[in-house]
Amino acid sequence: MNLIPSRTALSRILMCTALLGAGLAGAQRQNTLVVGGDFSDLVTLDPGVAYEFSGSLILGNIYDTLVAYEGNNLKTLRPRLASSWSVAQTGTGSRITFKLRDAKFSTGRPVTAADVVYSLERVINLKTPSSFLLTDVANLKVGSVTAPDAKTVVMDIPKTANPNIVLALLTFNVGGIVDSTEAKAHIQNGDYGSAWLKNHSAGSGPFKLNRWDQSAQVALDVNPNAFRRSTTIKRVILRYMQESAAQQTALNSGEIDVAWDYTPDAFKAAQTNPNLKALKTDTFTMAYLGMNSAKGSVFEDARVRQAVRYAIDQDGIVKSLLQGLALKTQTIIPLGMAGSTSRISYPYDPAKAKALLRAAGKPDGFSVDMQIGTGACPGGVPCQDLAAKLQSDLAKVGIKVNIRQSVTSEMLTAYRAQKTSLILMYWGPDYPDADGNGTPLADYGAKSLAWRNAWNNPQASQLAQAAATETNQAKRVNLYAQLNKLMVDEGPYAVLYQPNKPVVTSKNVTGFVRDANGNVQFERVSKK
Amino acid sequence: MFVYILKRLGLMLFVLWGVTLTAFLISHTLPADPAAAVLGNNAREEQLAEFRQRYGLDQPLPVQYGLYMKGLLRGDLGTSLRTQNSITSDLRQFFPATLEITLVAVVFALVIGLPLGIVAALWHGRWPDLTARIFSLLGGATPVYWLAILALTLFHEKLGWLPGPGRLDSYSLPPPVHTGLVSVDALLAGDRQVFVDALRHLILPGLVLGAYSAALLTRMTRSALLEVLSQDYVRTARAKGLKRSRVISKHALRNAALPLLTVFGGLFGGLLTGAVLTETIFSWPGIGGYATTSAISLDFPAVMGVTLVAGLAYSVVNLLVDLAYAFFDPRISYR
Repeated sequence: MNLIPSRTALSRILMCTALLGAGLAGAQRQNTLVVGGDFSDLVTLDPGVAYEFSGSLILGNIYDTLVAYEGNNLKTLRPRLASSWSVAQTGTGSRITFKLRDAKFSTGRPVTAADVVYSLERVINLKTPSSFLLTDVANLKVGSVTAPDAKTVVMDIPKTANPNIVLALLTFNVGGIVDSTEAKAHIQNGDYGSAWLKNHSAGSGPFKLNRWDQSAQVALDVNPNAFRRSTTIKRVILRYMQESAAQQTALNSGEIDVAWDYTPDAFKAAQTNPNLKALKTDTFTMAYLGMNSAKGSVFEDARVRQAVRYAIDQDGIVKSLLQGLALKTQTIIPLGMAGSTSRISYPYDPAKAKALLRAAGKPDGFSVDMQIGTGACPGGVPCQDLAAKLQSDLAKVGIKVNIRQSVTSEMLTAYRAQKTSLILMYWGPDYPDADGNGTPLADYGAKSLAWRNAWNNPQASQLAQAAATETNQAKRVNLYAQLNKLMVDEGPYAVLYQPNKPVVTSKNVTGFVRDANGNVQFERVSKK
Repeated sequence: MFVYILKRLGLMLFVLWGVTLTAFLISHTLPADPAAAVLGNNAREEQLAEFRQRYGLDQPLPVQYGLYMKGLLRGDLGTSLRTQNSITSDLRQFFPATLEITLVAVVFALVIGLPLGIVAALWHGRWPDLTARIFSLLGGATPVYWLAILALTLFHEKLGWLPGPGRLDSYSLPPPVHTGLVSVDALLAGDRQVFVDALRHLILPGLVLGAYSAALLTRMTRSALLEVLSQDYVRTARAKGLKRSRVISKHALRNAALPLLTVFGGLFGGLLTGAVLTETIFSWPGIGGYATTSAISLDFPAVMGVTLVAGLAYSVVNLLVDLAYAFFDPRISYR
């Protein structure tokens, strides 16, 4: 008997082993979704603390909120941990009652009403960058949220808060429900488990944290206990790739499946590449020019501000600078949100701009400093290029713009001190509700953007406040229509555009939807 | 020798103190506000005030510096404003990645630079010399970011010979952290596949980072050796009838080593701190990227931590170089 296998037998065995290995690797590749992008803003994975885009993206897949938006529809709330909810008026304000569904945390424990109460109270007590959403916007205190039984959560809010806004902000990770038993087991120096939750997970979402290697990658594994089932994707890896060039290389070689941060130029090339899918996803960000309207400034006269709006060639900006990766908009509420309007009040009209300047007593125009930041403006276009375009547009009507470039944070400090004259900036709402723009942009008393531009209009403040607390949706939309009109006529902003965020995936990725808040439901993605 | 080392260490402390003072003054006299940088556009006034108070940013400068030094003496580098981690733990996380890539770059620089320089000097004026000189000119003049993108596109995307950005393949999970050097950790975990993967990932960034140093080393080796080769003792050695290889290794190279050592020390320090561009393009999670992100978000404690580590690395390498002098040249003694 020949104990040594023949050469052909040996090669067959080797071949089988190799195929087995390849098969395993292939299955692993099929089940793993790799996203490459700039995730350097990620500082914590505690849902009560995180306040950055990357954090929100990941936490939306680890933790469940009571209510949520599904897919691209950001106007209709859907049940998530709460199977149903009702809003009732009370003597002191309103009461929202949530009925919880049967759900389990990745730890195996059931999700109870006590977990909900603990999760929200820990955010209030922690005083995190995002806790103002619960304390100041929703006006919640410790004790406002109660659990009459294991499946019922009752939330009492005062008249000063609008239950619609409260529900909208509960969709943000600040409303993520944590396994309270697990969090309590990891408390250090009264931190409510925050140090531990920074890089561990205890949620009921479709994924749980495997490991976060700072600046390298975040690895998520499927949570077998989840009710939001991931059908094919068992692992999601978010790899830090700051450079668009590195993302392109990695996407083309199959190293990553999704590129999160493409430049407009690279995106244009991807649109014609048959191996890729180029997605123009929506955002709620808007780029604008802020005009300081303080007494004695050139922009004090509303006609000068209108002249600036007529003088700007928005179509040129959107088409040539942003390569079509933006929506043209002129009002303060982002398109895609209830209360927004796509009406264009200022078509490009330099002659009209000149006439307005003449009427305002500035027939020869004037000279003004424009603050701009370093790096890229929304939509990935270099701020410098955008500023040069604005400079040439305004020059045509006699406004001489001197561009002053500085680090964004430095510029922000000057802006906060009302020390800018003309500023090229952007804004993204804190929560997907018109109030996230209405109050900061229109209400001087909120000490946000209206204040920074020294624009004090009591009527605008009143409208913003009324719209914030109005609970009747039809009336509310009507109030925002009035506010939009007022801001367009009188406001201190020249809204420039609402950028799209270009996301490119390889063609075998399906179901990848990025909503305007920047969230993706990874459990809905599959690879063919 | 021992006294000399002690003296040098004392001097080093003094230098490092100077580094902290300079870094502190530069970062704290900038007109920008770190609270605004970290908390961003949407932050409200109360949040900013709370942040400044929590990190003592509302204190007068001397008090802030005093507090910093007090912590430093206890080995506490402070807390990062951005990541909210202790700087020490951040540095421990990011430094090994840079060290790994730097070591590889140094090895490449030596393996390529030294032989090429020697060959160039020995075949002075002939085609090997010309080749070496073209290489050193190109290597010295090519911008690192361009070389990096070129190398990635060619060897990864087009030819598929080498892996792309990052320290490991997307589909292999990193080994448990012991040293922070992924290749070493993979070995410790006994994971051969990940080890090979880690090594393969080191090649491109290591080559790119080492290219400039290799070019410089080629040029320096060539000129140092050329100078030595024209010396009388080399001619004497040859005249004595010693073998050519022995003349070169024993007489020429040993004497050419001194100036090379100086260059090499500088290179190593420079590599360690100058890996920023390579790290960015190769998505390498090292100290370079950490320093950039920290600087952009005005994370002063982090920037100072990085500066201190860079200063320390530089000082240590320089000390080692000086000590190595004695090994190559017995005439030098330290007292």
